[in-house]
Amino acid sequence: MSNIVENDVLMESGNSTDSTKNMYLAFVIEDEQFAVDVGHIKEIIGVEPITLVPRTEDYIKGIFNLRGDIVPAIDVRSRFRKPEIPYNQLTCIVVVFYQDYILGLIVDSILGVYIIEEDMISSPPNAKLSYSNQFVKNIGKADDGIKLLLDLEKLIFDI
Amino acid sequence: MADFDRESMLEMFSFEMNQLVDQLEQTIIGSESGFSMEFINEVFRIMHTIKGSAAMMLFDTIATATHAAEDLFYYLREENPEGVDYSELTDYVLACMDFIKDELAKIEQKVPVDGNPAPVVADITGFLQRLKGDETATPAVASAPATAAPSSSTKSSDNPFGKHKYKAKIRFDENAQMENVRAFTIVNNLKDYAMGILHEPEDIITEDSIEAIRKNGFAITFSSDVSYKEMFDILSRSVYIKDIYLEEFTQESFDLDGLHSYFVKMKFDEGALMENVRAYTAVHNIKAYAEYLLHVPEDLVDETNAEVIRKDGLKLDLVTTKGYDELNEMLSQTVYLKELSIEKIKHEISEQEIAPKEMQEVKQEEQKQEVPQETAKPVVAPASTPVPSVPAVQDSQSAMPKKSAAQAVISVNVSKLDQLLKFMGELVIAEAMVTQNPELEGLSLENFNKEARQLKKIINDVQETVMAMRMVSLSNTFFKMNRIVRDMCKALGKEATLEIVGEETEVDKNIMEHIGDPLMHIIRNSLDHGIESPERRRAAGKPEKGNILLEARNVGSEVWVIIEDDGNGLNKDRIMEKAKNNGLLKKPENEYTDKEIFQFIFMPGFSTNEQVTSYSGRGVGMDVVNKNLEFVGGSVVVDSIPSEGSTFILKIPLTLAIIKGMIVHVAGCKYTIPIVSIRDSFRASTDDIFMDPSGNEMITVRGDHYNVVRLNEFFGLQGDVKVIEDGIMMIIENGDDAICLFVDELIGEQAVVRKPIPKYIKQIRGISGCTLLGNGDISLIIDVAGFFDK
Repeated sequence: MSNIVENDVLMESGNSTDSTKNMYLAFVIEDEQFAVDVGHIKEIIGVEPITLVPRTEDYIKGIFNLRGDIVPAIDVRSRFRKPEIPYNQLTCIVVVFYQDYILGLIVDSILGVYIIEEDMISSPPNAKLSYSNQFVKNIGKADDGIKLLLDLEKLIFDI
Repeated sequence: MADFDRESMLEMFSFEMNQLVDQLEQTIIGSESGFSMEFINEVFRIMHTIKGSAAMMLFDTIATATHAAEDLFYYLREENPEGVDYSELTDYVLACMDFIKDELAKIEQKVPVDGNPAPVVADITGFLQRLKGDETATPAVASAPATAAPSSSTKSSDNPFGKHKYKAKIRFDENAQMENVRAFTIVNNLKDYAMGILHEPEDIITEDSIEAIRKNGFAITFSSDVSYKEMFDILSRSVYIKDIYLEEFTQESFDLDGLHSYFVKMKFDEGALMENVRAYTAVHNIKAYAEYLLHVPEDLVDETNAEVIRKDGLKLDLVTTKGYDELNEMLSQTVYLKELSIEKIKHEISEQEIAPKEMQEVKQEEQKQEVPQETAKPVVAPASTPVPSVPAVQDSQSAMPKKSAAQAVISVNVSKLDQLLKFMGELVIAEAMVTQNPELEGLSLENFNKEARQLKKIINDVQETVMAMRMVSLSNTFFKMNRIVRDMCKALGKEATLEIVGEETEVDKNIMEHIGDPLMHIIRNSLDHGIESPERRRAAGKPEKGNILLEARNVGSEVWVIIEDDGNGLNKDRIMEKAKNNGLLKKPENEYTDKEIFQFIFMPGFSTNEQVTSYSGRGVGMDVVNKNLEFVGGSVVVDSIPSEGSTFILKIPLTLAIIKGMIVHVAGCKYTIPIVSIRDSFRASTDDIFMDPSGNEMITVRGDHYNVVRLNEFFGLQGDVKVIEDGIMMIIENGDDAICLFVDELIGEQAVVRKPIPKYIKQIRGISGCTLLGNGDISLIIDVAGFFDK
């Protein structure tokens, strides 16, 4: 775990800059480890009270109030068609921004921030064996194992 | 010009132009019957500004058209001719305005600005010629755009410089932006009045100069025939000026400072070549000794001016401490010099200051070889200020009260106001979160509660002010309708007056933008279909001149805009027939109420006019009315009495962002229902409910039948309250439709700030947005129209 960076870095994360280059935030969904470019992360919060929005997809858990901004909450388990579990102490909402969208991703737990150099990133195999695989853009190798790099664009625009 | 940030300049340009054009149009229509001198001056000034700006932005078509109009008003201003046909004149000016508006629209749409100003120019010059023809005695001077003072006999014939020498320093407002462009405009404007304009910084084309202008101000030296006061006025016309320091060189100041003023003319040998460079060298050599130096041609770097110098020579207007002989000697050293003439000039001071004694001195003026005895005189008071140089701020306040009044208003970007409103909403919520914090429960906090109330009061005041800031009066939109009525009456040969009432009523800025078009279409409709021709009106025993009333008034949380005409009224049978032909009828013909029939006219493509005129008949207009009003959450009601007239009522919500809502509880969630939509709320009993054949619940209230919608079922929620007695019934209306909504309980009424649902979530039927409640919870706002969609 030598290359885990202190979470403080997140406090000043804006867009991908040199200071956050090659940095990824890893989190757990069921038994897989996913990661998102730190440049797309606004903040990480605990589970907030979420207001249900009727007549929406199951994975949209509703909207919550992030200091005056209304942010939709997406249960990533549900999005990946995995069985949902009750939220617990470890459950977090990762608030990501992509283009002009802001969403909160509800994840099982946070692993930490990893530096994954470009030469350690490779394309995923063509065969999409599980449903969640289609949201994997690339595969990154960190010291303690494989991280699946999430394709935010697909996550947002594919309904 | 390519270096400019043209985008933002264009934006500013079209904003300013549109304002000027609107202003001009309103003043013109207001005084069609006769133009006062003040009014002519104002038109002239606006035209001049438009021309200058357009020329600067290289929109020649606009510049050409306004130039013609400017000429015309110059003539009116200078000659004040009698017997002018003001109605005809108004036509031409309005045509010119329309042309400019078209061109501006092209600029905004980023298509080539290619209009042909020739017809407009021809009309205006033709009119001007006729005016002049009537007044043969007056000399034709109107072609000159400048306020040229009568030509002076006291200066030598080929001296191109003005009688007065000025030095001005202009500083712009801190937030003026693009100071170089502003400076460029000033120089451009001055060109009409002044000669030999030199400015510091010299380069105002590139943006590098902005910083320098901001720091040191913009200094200009020039000569002009215009008097000090007029010149001050000319300079003050530019926008965003913080202060102007204008100084005139006068004989008195020359005497005090031991200065002499000369007019120098130099010509070079035929074979000299590169005259501009030679001239530049000569000017450069003498610059160090000059207090003030102007030269014609102004640009000595440009090679094309070599030709000019070869022909007309280099002319200098020069103020220096050097005596005649010294100057002569210095200038004679110039190589390839062929001719040199130096004239010593005595300056009149501004007209108002001329004392009889000084008048005599003027006569000495052309004594070329005056003995330079004054050279020996020491410079008496170098720091003394030349005579009429009034500090600009004072002068501008006394001379132009209008301008200072205008500065009480600033234009603010709407997005900033939107942001302010957003923060305001958050402040309200934050306040509630602090003062109603669960951790405070059970504590006795007498002082805290007192301060909290004070805080709440202040926040309420701020909120009211923020809302008030977004409110704009309807007067601009209303007065624009004058133009439509006037134009249409002329074109259709009808007579009508527009009576405007309550134009000071205010609505939110966002809403304002959506009611201009509906108003225009309804008024066009009234004039085209409603108001009859004068003959028919006379036959019907009505006054020949029709009347259209345009009224705005506050009704609850809505603003009603009422358009009432005393025309023929809507033809119910024709509308019905047309609706039948278009297959719009959904129930038997005789079941339609008058209101329902009139509502047909708002359907797209609906027109009872057999002939398409240039104003109506395509069936587009009234459709726009409905669409725009729906967008802002308003509605339109029509009423009409045959042969007595029609009334259109536009019901518009005061503001989009903040609504009064009733918070209700449904299945553990809080929903907000706009108060304006709630007609009634009551507790019903199971016995009141009956089923229609398809199993929908219905209820009868005071003789009217309503469909019952259980909100929890509508939204697919697990409802807590299933028994009718335990919940609350609310009659919700949308226009003329109404339903009965069943909810668990009412929580209370509250003003809420509407926020959009994040766009990641697609549009949900029945929900129009969301809002934050005092405790930070989110409440969804019910879109009442969603219950009525088929």
